[in-house]
Amino acid sequence: MDERLLPRGRSRAPFGRFLLWLVPWAALLGVGLYAAYLCLALGLNQTNMDNRFAFGLWIYLDLTVIALGAGAFFTGFLLYVMKKRELAAVINSAVVIGFICYSGAVAILAIDVGQPLRAWFTFWHPNVHSMLTEVTFCLTCYLTVLAIEYLPLLLRNRQIKKRPSMLVFEFELHKVMAVFALVGTFLSFFHQGSLGGLYGVLQGRPFAYRDSLAAWPSTFFLFILSAAAVGPSFVLATTWIVQKVSGRTLVKREVFDLLARVSGSLLLVYVLAKSVDTLVWINHTSFALGVDPATFYAFAPFGTWALFAEIVLLGLVPALLLALPRTRRNPRLLVPAAFLACAGVAMNRFVMTVQTLALPTLAFDPFLSYTPSWQETASFLAVVAYGVILYSVSFRYLNLFPQERELASLPEA
Amino acid sequence: MFPWSPEFVWDAYHVAFFGALYSVLATVAATLAFAAWRAWRDAREGRAAAIAWHGDFEELPRAARPCRHQLTGEAPGRTCGNGFDCRHCVEHARLEARRWSSGPTEPTDRVGFALPLDRLYHRGHTWVRPEPDGTLTVGLDDMARRLVGTPERVELPAAGERLQVNGPAGRIRTRGREVRVLSPVDGTVVEAAGEGAAFTLRVDPGGAPDLRHLLRGAEVPAWALRELERLQGALGSSALGAALADGGELVADVGAALPGDRYDAVLGDMLLEP
Repeated sequence: MDERLLPRGRSRAPFGRFLLWLVPWAALLGVGLYAAYLCLALGLNQTNMDNRFAFGLWIYLDLTVIALGAGAFFTGFLLYVMKKRELAAVINSAVVIGFICYSGAVAILAIDVGQPLRAWFTFWHPNVHSMLTEVTFCLTCYLTVLAIEYLPLLLRNRQIKKRPSMLVFEFELHKVMAVFALVGTFLSFFHQGSLGGLYGVLQGRPFAYRDSLAAWPSTFFLFILSAAAVGPSFVLATTWIVQKVSGRTLVKREVFDLLARVSGSLLLVYVLAKSVDTLVWINHTSFALGVDPATFYAFAPFGTWALFAEIVLLGLVPALLLALPRTRRNPRLLVPAAFLACAGVAMNRFVMTVQTLALPTLAFDPFLSYTPSWQETASFLAVVAYGVILYSVSFRYLNLFPQERELASLPEA
Repeated sequence: MFPWSPEFVWDAYHVAFFGALYSVLATVAATLAFAAWRAWRDAREGRAAAIAWHGDFEELPRAARPCRHQLTGEAPGRTCGNGFDCRHCVEHARLEARRWSSGPTEPTDRVGFALPLDRLYHRGHTWVRPEPDGTLTVGLDDMARRLVGTPERVELPAAGERLQVNGPAGRIRTRGREVRVLSPVDGTVVEAAGEGAAFTLRVDPGGAPDLRHLLRGAEVPAWALRELERLQGALGSSALGAALADGGELVADVGAALPGDRYDAVLGDMLLEP
């Protein structure tokens, strides 16, 4: 039925089966849109956040998907600027994933902030003293850049490229893609950093507060480094998932190897920096603010296990597995290591967002707990559903993996 | 915008912050506008066909891009990087000068389809025959004709239309699948004749034609054998590998023996439209 739109030489599931795959995701999207409508129409009383627990599931997951979406900018940087040609095999997929992550994050922020019709206020009346202003600017700019990077993929669709005007535009756009890759790197560098810096400047929250390096708190640099380190792992993990779901080999083994090598090396640097930062915070910053760091880990469920899990189990372990040639060449270790690395960045963002707000800051403060409402959960699941639908449609109709056709023609080993 | 905002202050921090933001926006907008302007210029200068071929050629697997001198054993392992247009290839001129024989001129019967050597061949499975009146006759070679079988529709350029080497010279729709035919020559179409896949175009090259990029002599059977190998590879399943038996003759309608999506892939593979 839709054969004329499919890329040539890539076998795809029959149209009916494809629609069947989309149905549950579309249902989830529908429920989530209704939940989002409730939040926008009736207000944030639909959530379980309050004045004390102002960052909940939405901000935590926003920070996580933005970190994971860094795979788009970092893969682009490695390909177009560092000339790692092997990554041409995954750049299209990385761009689509980046676009999904960032557009999803912006959509959730629009619900969280509310009054989307007044979104332009943030640009017209910016609070220049807020790191969130810089984050807002960078997110919107980078989403625009990602949309531009997505455009050539659409224009290479089998039917669209028959139109000469579309074809030449795609060709010329492709030639200037390095500029967009550089702009994306610049923007990502700052907004990933500002998201981290946001916590590091909270002097009233000794659990998050960090000393400054130059003008920025150390969390500014740690967020950049962790996002750059985990981005390639997320590209690796998503490519592996797509291979499993579609039942096709999409990229050559060397591509996985390169992604793992880059991710593992950067993750090692990150774990080292994070360890130094934690030691400085435990031995200096926290005491300087008059708080014994041991008290931060006295409230269940956030024991010292959380610190161990974040830095060692989900940091050092995957870093070593990905960085060491022998372990990363073992598929049974490579893919779990990539997933562990992604879980590590999710854990870090959870600790920075939820644990920071849950811990008491004054002697009479209670330890707070927070469980997201169904509206919060459903709104976020709608973003997941939107991502699955957009990626599935892109995978079906666009050439996301240029090596797919060549690999399909090779006899199976 | 911001200087009119009540919160804006003319200090170094504000200027640097917004300066950076607007520099980014200006860079994005200028780059996009630059790409759009170049695209408009390309379209106006008629470069769309060359760009389309450039894109298709880049997508071809390495196995589909052997240099003609690799086929004849003169440059083992060499892959074409010029879009099969040898007219501007320095290496081609060098290798051509060293060639001592143009090879057999007798028809070969080893490849399983007709391959008359009284004409020149293009890598996109078209042939060219110079006529005594200075025009060129262009047609689909026998392998391509067997691939497309009996087409439902053949769209050919009308008399007076310009053709460019590696630009489109028509579209064929067969068994619900569509594929374009690459032009082997530059020139103006004088007339189109023939039915279905047996069509021919008479082309006026507008002077002495430059046909250096076309295969001739000993290159033709070598290329045909390689194309047969590629066809075998394209027909084979990923589980079985190449499954076509050696020898024999290529069936008259390849599409009749293949499921639709595989046939589509084979058409694209062999007629160089990935």
